[in-house]
Amino acid sequence: MSEFLIRNAYVIDPLSGIKGEIMDIAIRNGRIAEEVGSNAEVIDADHCLTLPGGIDSHSHVCGTKVNFGRYMSPEDMRAGRTARKGVMHVTSGYSVPTTFGNSYRYSVMGYTTVLEGAMAPLEARHTHEEFTATPHQDMLANTLFDGNWSIMEAVREKDMKRAAAVVAWTLSAVKGFAIKLTNPGGTEAWGWGEDVHSIQDQVPHFGVTPAEIIQTMIRANELLNLPHSVHLHCNALGVPGNYRTTLDTIDLVPDLNDKRQSLYLTHLQFHSYGGSTWKDISSKSEDIARAVNNKPAVAIDMGQIMFGRTTTMTADGPMEFKLYMLHHNKWSNHDVELETGSGIIPVYYSRKSLVNCVMWAIGIELALLVKDPWRCMLSTDNPNGAPFVKYPEIIALLMSRRFRENEIALLDPRTAHYVPLPAIDRELDWYDIAVMTRAGQAKALGITGIGKGYLAPGAEADIAIYPLKPESLDPSAEYQQVMAGFGKTRYTIKRGRVVARDGDVVVEGANSTIWTRSTVPPGYDLSVDPEFMKKFEQYYTVRMSNYPVQDVYLPRGICIPTEASL
Amino acid sequence: MKFLLNTGRTIRQGSYVERKNSVAYQEEATSLCMNPVDMMNLELEEGSQVRVESDQESVIMKVHPALWITQGEVFVCLGPYANHLVKPETHGSGMPDFKGTMVTITPTSEPLVTVADLMERCGGVRYED
Amino acid sequence: MKIDDVVCPFCGCLCDDLVVEVEGTRVVSVENGCTLANEKFMGDHRLKTPIHREGKGWKETTYDEAIRETAEILCDADRPLLYGWSGTHGEAQSIGIHLAEILGALVDNTSTVCHGPSILAIQEVGHPGCTLGQVKNRADVVIYWGTNPIDAHPRHMSRYTTFADGFFLKEAFRDRKLIVVDVRKSESANIADEFVRIQPGGDYAVLSALRAIVQGKRGIIPPSVAGVSREQLFRVADLLLSAKFGAIFFGLGLTMSRGKSKNIRNAIELTEELNRHTKFIISPMRGHWNVYGSNEVFTWITGYPYAVDFARGIAFYNPGETTSVDVLSRKECDACLVVASDPGAHFPKACAEHLARIPTVQIDPHVNATTHLSRIQIPVAVTGIDAEGTAYRMDGVPIRTRMLFRGTYPSDTAVLEQLYAIVKEIKGP
Repeated sequence: MSEFLIRNAYVIDPLSGIKGEIMDIAIRNGRIAEEVGSNAEVIDADHCLTLPGGIDSHSHVCGTKVNFGRYMSPEDMRAGRTARKGVMHVTSGYSVPTTFGNSYRYSVMGYTTVLEGAMAPLEARHTHEEFTATPHQDMLANTLFDGNWSIMEAVREKDMKRAAAVVAWTLSAVKGFAIKLTNPGGTEAWGWGEDVHSIQDQVPHFGVTPAEIIQTMIRANELLNLPHSVHLHCNALGVPGNYRTTLDTIDLVPDLNDKRQSLYLTHLQFHSYGGSTWKDISSKSEDIARAVNNKPAVAIDMGQIMFGRTTTMTADGPMEFKLYMLHHNKWSNHDVELETGSGIIPVYYSRKSLVNCVMWAIGIELALLVKDPWRCMLSTDNPNGAPFVKYPEIIALLMSRRFRENEIALLDPRTAHYVPLPAIDRELDWYDIAVMTRAGQAKALGITGIGKGYLAPGAEADIAIYPLKPESLDPSAEYQQVMAGFGKTRYTIKRGRVVARDGDVVVEGANSTIWTRSTVPPGYDLSVDPEFMKKFEQYYTVRMSNYPVQDVYLPRGICIPTEASL
Repeated sequence: MKFLLNTGRTIRQGSYVERKNSVAYQEEATSLCMNPVDMMNLELEEGSQVRVESDQESVIMKVHPALWITQGEVFVCLGPYANHLVKPETHGSGMPDFKGTMVTITPTSEPLVTVADLMERCGGVRYED
Repeated sequence: MKIDDVVCPFCGCLCDDLVVEVEGTRVVSVENGCTLANEKFMGDHRLKTPIHREGKGWKETTYDEAIRETAEILCDADRPLLYGWSGTHGEAQSIGIHLAEILGALVDNTSTVCHGPSILAIQEVGHPGCTLGQVKNRADVVIYWGTNPIDAHPRHMSRYTTFADGFFLKEAFRDRKLIVVDVRKSESANIADEFVRIQPGGDYAVLSALRAIVQGKRGIIPPSVAGVSREQLFRVADLLLSAKFGAIFFGLGLTMSRGKSKNIRNAIELTEELNRHTKFIISPMRGHWNVYGSNEVFTWITGYPYAVDFARGIAFYNPGETTSVDVLSRKECDACLVVASDPGAHFPKACAEHLARIPTVQIDPHVNATTHLSRIQIPVAVTGIDAEGTAYRMDGVPIRTRMLFRGTYPSDTAVLEQLYAIVKEIKGP
């Protein structure tokens, strides 16, 4: 039995309604407890900011395309190298670090749970192998259904229950967590070098539209009673004028769940562009934020970009090719049979590029203009907008108007003409940041039920103690300290064990993978469905029996079971 | 006569690849495919033995006629016999010139050697099970 | 006992539809497999026990002894090389890389002498690819360039291309055009709709000519390019441009001949160029069943697909310097652990000589050429027969190989774990 007592912590625990109190936190056997014995090991937090462990609800860290980002980029690997030290393995990489690199850097920043934003079902085993080598965070995998033939056929037949059955079989087979749609319909069209351009475009050969796919999947998701909502990367990412597509998409969303959103819109910065070409691209963050504010059934994450180099990687194959036509650096693409696609290109976001300046402003604007922090997560769509190590800088930008002004002064001077940012005064407070980096994520992902995202007795003891003293620190003025403080915890505690201290990882780590399994009535069990089995016989290149991810790949799996309402 | 040596996989090489000390593997890995016109010029019959020599090594092989190969080129499946003829120079690429080595081929009556013989020439000690 | 959907651990096709009949610890029949698969499963030529050299002869030894001796050799070395990895499962590869990490060793896989140059090209220009099912369901034009699948990947055509009916191609053999490009008229060339015979070393020039034609510059093409007539080049380019979905598969004919990585770069840039007109993908024909897995595992742990040097504490990568052939021919390494490959047979002679000069240990189920160069050999179970683990198909699809029966040999993972534990103990924290 291991016991810990954190004394004198300045706690913000939004899910428990604690908004900044000096208190003690007791930990027993990996969980928060009411109290511990007198022999418990004591950590003196000395009035430092103490939060539930950070949760990233959208990041690309493990799996086929992430690893290909490393494989094709020795220049990025060289840009972040550390030697073996104590329990820490060698790490390489800046924007796409090796698995241990990701894990250590997240841990040092106080993050204890990370959702991989896009897992192709056929290649799920790869994602799980890398999860095991990311030992300091509990991992979850969004599972791609955007170009899934069985789904599109169900949508065409208007058979929502069949769509739900496909999701149930697949998530259970690949040990996935939630439904991800990346440019729905677009990834199938890309199989022919084409794309869909609005939510009403037809997907070639399948006779369905993105709007129909999105609507069907939102409802199928609720039929399965999954913890998370559908997680959507909208159509037309990165295209000037795409805010209309985004607004049309938000219009589609019904309010079906009283515990969380019914649709999670990811990296919304990339979907909030006005104008019609790269010459007149402008911020439509006000329109988008208004739509989000008026629609409690949606939650978003920022998808902030930060200046410097990074690697873009997404299941959105056609978008990556368009981006390659702009950058002409190097381009990888990897379409996945019957399911989805992906693309990768390195990019450099420059303050000298007006387009990049507008993009930078939009992300911040969204976070400041969406009123409810519970529905706006802090993210960079790591590494697409920037590597996650930039989060502390983003936090500082959101908390300090002065910092923003200093940064705006460095931008292309025309930027102010295209964005509302200079006129926005709002400065987020510690509580907002706590919501946007952990509590909001836990709620949006629906994982509070397994003890994530809060610090009340019974919760998992995932805790971050930052060298920041909110009682005496003015984040508006002392934003440099805010940045430094969020970059390196004094303690990161994972499941009741100190895993990182003052920038060093101190244990080998042993994480869990969280996945969902929906029990469906026998009539909806696709493992014996002749139509579904035929897909494997005739069109997949892997046998159905070799497709599911075996239990051995999840040495410490946590299954969230649900009963489907079919 | 000078030839350009090309190497590659054959189904028989693949079949015997886990029995490198077998006669079957040795036969396949020492089979040199040559255009019949070149064979005529060298006065070789099918199955004739030849010495194949590069600046690295010299090995004995057996000739087989192949219409699919151009005059001036020969083909041997990958394996120790062919690969030991190749220079270790990689020109900074990590990859030797496995498909571009010049060899001199002359008729001979010397016998073929086994893989173990070849490895002993490299300083190894033969293992026989 | 008949086992369905068995995964074949021979080539990069990683076919997973074999039916294998097992009696006790023996495979008695194989269905659906090619000749190579049959030989692999039916083969019964294992080394019986660990062996080590004593003077000018060999003696049997125990696993514990052999592993302990290996650990000492590796720990005594200043610059050990851990080479091979492509013939074993990912879990064992992972331990091997961590072993190299604590030893400060060089670690390299067989890509170094197969598709290493392809990796270098991909690192310059990227890789537009896809899973093989995309090709099977969609491709109406398929090119094999410098590769002879009938011999090297015998079921590639029947499972994924020429003879594989797909969703959008109900009669593949009739509806799909096959182009073979090679310096020799291989078996595969015999069934091609178009066979393009190139003079040795002429691939780069022919790829450049095709790129020019695709860019609309037909006027600059000379009457013949590396032995290929202008008429044929135009015909081939028209076929490529008329494709709805085209797929280029290339082999060692590009990676090993003059130009090496630059040939691949040119082929990838042709593919990229074609994507401005239609849909095209390109894919290397990976040889070993899990060579791509070794690249994947190397990459997520070290950041690099092969040729990684831990001597500086960090992972250092510089192919041409840290690649096995270079390290061996420079006589640089002073001990070598070979796992699941046969450098004695497949490296140039100078490399084999150095392997014989230094203490070399081999972990492999079979006696091969490297055996004679080694000081110790430790036989292990064959992954896919009496051991299981993860493999990555040539297109990146990960499949778990099966254990068909429990034999008496330990797996690569078991031997390497034991070795790792001893080395860790010797090296300290």
